[in-house]
Amino acid sequence: MDFTYSPEDIAFRDELRGWLATNLPQGWGETVFLPEDEDENAMFRLDWERKLYKGGWNGIAWPREYGGRGATLIEQAIFAEEMARAKAPEGLNIIGRNLVATTLLHHGSDAQKARFLPKIISGEEVWCQGFSEPNAGSDLAAVRCQAVRDGNHFVVNGQKIWTSFAQYSQWCILLARTDPSAPKHKGISFLLVDMKTPGITIRPLRQISGECEFNETFFDDVRVPVENLVGELNGGWRIAMTTLAYERGPEDALGRQLVFRQELDQLLATAAKLQRGNQTAIEDSLLRQKLAKSLVAIEIMRLNCLRAFSKSLKGAPRGAEASMNKLYWSHVMQDMFDTAMEVLGPLAPLTAGDARAVDGGRFQLAFLRSKAFTIYSGSSEIQRNIIAERVLGLPK
Amino acid sequence: MDFDFSQEQYMFQDTIRELLANALTMEHLRNGATEELWEQLAETGVFALLTGEADGGLGLGFTDLALVFEEFGRALVPAPVAAAIVAGGVIARFGTPEQRAELLPGHGEGRLRLSPAFAEAGTTIPSAMTATARPAGTGWTVSGSKILVPDAAAADKLLVALRFGDDELGLALIEPTRAGVALREQNVLDLTARYHEVTFDRVALAASDILGGKPDSATVVACFDAAAAVAALQMTGMAARTLDEAVTYVGQRKQFDRLLGSFQAIKHRCADMAVAVDACRSAAYYAAWALDEAAPDERARAVSMAKSWCGDNARFTCNQAIQLHGGIGFTWELGLHLFLRRIKCEEASFGDADWHRERVIDATLRSMELTG
Repeated sequence: MDFTYSPEDIAFRDELRGWLATNLPQGWGETVFLPEDEDENAMFRLDWERKLYKGGWNGIAWPREYGGRGATLIEQAIFAEEMARAKAPEGLNIIGRNLVATTLLHHGSDAQKARFLPKIISGEEVWCQGFSEPNAGSDLAAVRCQAVRDGNHFVVNGQKIWTSFAQYSQWCILLARTDPSAPKHKGISFLLVDMKTPGITIRPLRQISGECEFNETFFDDVRVPVENLVGELNGGWRIAMTTLAYERGPEDALGRQLVFRQELDQLLATAAKLQRGNQTAIEDSLLRQKLAKSLVAIEIMRLNCLRAFSKSLKGAPRGAEASMNKLYWSHVMQDMFDTAMEVLGPLAPLTAGDARAVDGGRFQLAFLRSKAFTIYSGSSEIQRNIIAERVLGLPK
Repeated sequence: MDFDFSQEQYMFQDTIRELLANALTMEHLRNGATEELWEQLAETGVFALLTGEADGGLGLGFTDLALVFEEFGRALVPAPVAAAIVAGGVIARFGTPEQRAELLPGHGEGRLRLSPAFAEAGTTIPSAMTATARPAGTGWTVSGSKILVPDAAAADKLLVALRFGDDELGLALIEPTRAGVALREQNVLDLTARYHEVTFDRVALAASDILGGKPDSATVVACFDAAAAVAALQMTGMAARTLDEAVTYVGQRKQFDRLLGSFQAIKHRCADMAVAVDACRSAAYYAAWALDEAAPDERARAVSMAKSWCGDNARFTCNQAIQLHGGIGFTWELGLHLFLRRIKCEEASFGDADWHRERVIDATLRSMELTG
């Protein structure tokens, strides 16, 4: 057991820290922040992603032959830490960089890798994920969106939902039913769809936070060339499982942990200033206990990630344990934002724009957003099934 | 960066697990622990592990013992064993050469028993303790009372946390047979060991009886932190064991013509228990590392995170395990209650969860230069 970093790791950290200092806008995180307008925000994050690429800092975990650094897990951890420390924005192409690329590296043809990977890492092409449907959420294998072979094309008809960033995306990974007569897991194919293809309609969905990050996406006779099939026809379910395993991995969780800890630090600073009766909120022993619970739970989230990392470094396969990580942090963070609202007390209902809103209403927004944590990337109920059946070996 | 154990450490865990599986059955636990257990454990080196090589020990650390203590919890090794290892470790670190030479060889062989005496009826926290040593002649006299001292009657030396004057604390080495020391066996939730109330009535103390030769609060806090971390590690083992028992049971028991474990209501509860146990491991292992390697502030923070988290979550896991067993879970015969009883004792010892959480937030706010 050793919590120190090697000289190579420290050099990596220093190099990244230096790069961030010169490449983030002057006053970043103090006087300069992400744009509030959603479209401007997205474009800013896209520009940032391209800047990261030019600096050699995008897709660092990718193999060198596709433009990455072949970064070790430790370097990925350091990267996540430094980005969080600098409060650097997250690039827009999260799905392309983390999910599509990983899936293509595992299952894509050489031609697909050569065509798509360079434009993902450069930020030229942004991707979205066409998995969920109105009647296929937790029961993802129930997808009904259909792809029917017609010469050298599949013709796609159906609807997807919760497609984050579809409005900014050039490409989409799509789960479509290609054999309606097969058992449901065995009739699904994994397609790559150009979002400019005629027949695609995107309708923004307003979320409980008021934001429109995700969409409903409709496919009407959308023609997809057969070379955009990933893996085998009707073999899409296994490929989708690869995608999801990376969506829930410790690399993702460690980056989140650091951001959550910053949120909590901000909450502590706020609680030390907020007056509650004849004392500050932080002096209230009940609130202190709740805040301390969050502190402990969030620090353990980091330790969970580091343990998972260490196991991976020794070659342990990526397995259902990722579900333990996700189930843990999603509930811990929801609890923290519940506590945040309690800390704000009488001011909790006031949102951004009100003169008395605390910290610009950030905790209200985060509280609302946190409701998604236990739903996306597989709901808590699905994670519990996975843990019970695949980790604990309980019967189906 | 490596938050994992070495092959040797895992192998040592296997050795201990195998030994305990044979040496400590439910029968042993219900009928009181066997004397042979101390000898068998001594042969593995666990009592000599924290002793420096110069004193004839192995010169290893709590990280090397972390998985051992987890196994102790899993097998419900009676509390005096881990307590003795903690006391020996503190003596190895802070004792004078004479104290180390007198106590550590016998301790290492498992024949000289050490037992820490910390808790009082009013507190388990060093800074609030009232048992006091007052100057008298060239030494001191000790008055006060300690409760829940693990098998004080079998101990050769008690390691007693005392107040020396207003500001200083210290650890005194006192035989339970010394004049003025009275023992009373207590009725305790935990049925796997004896515990005693130890009363000190003007007990004479020489400088040579004080760990390190003079009072030093750092020794008391280090012993307290080590004991709290060891409680967290043992509770992690108890949580893991109760989870295993529950999963085994619901995987065999049928109701409504189906295995209980095939119902989602049951599965989901088991999944939550598994997540809780996994997080216990993260917290407790880090605390063990911090005992060896971290500066006192970080050590305190790590220990307090682990003690509060593992206490809450071992209780949660054990409660769920009893519930999942249904009526049989409530029986004396099944024995899950032995875990419930022990966890409750560990929770109450060496700072409860609320106190440890307060220590975490206080340290955090001070490091952020926030008041309150």
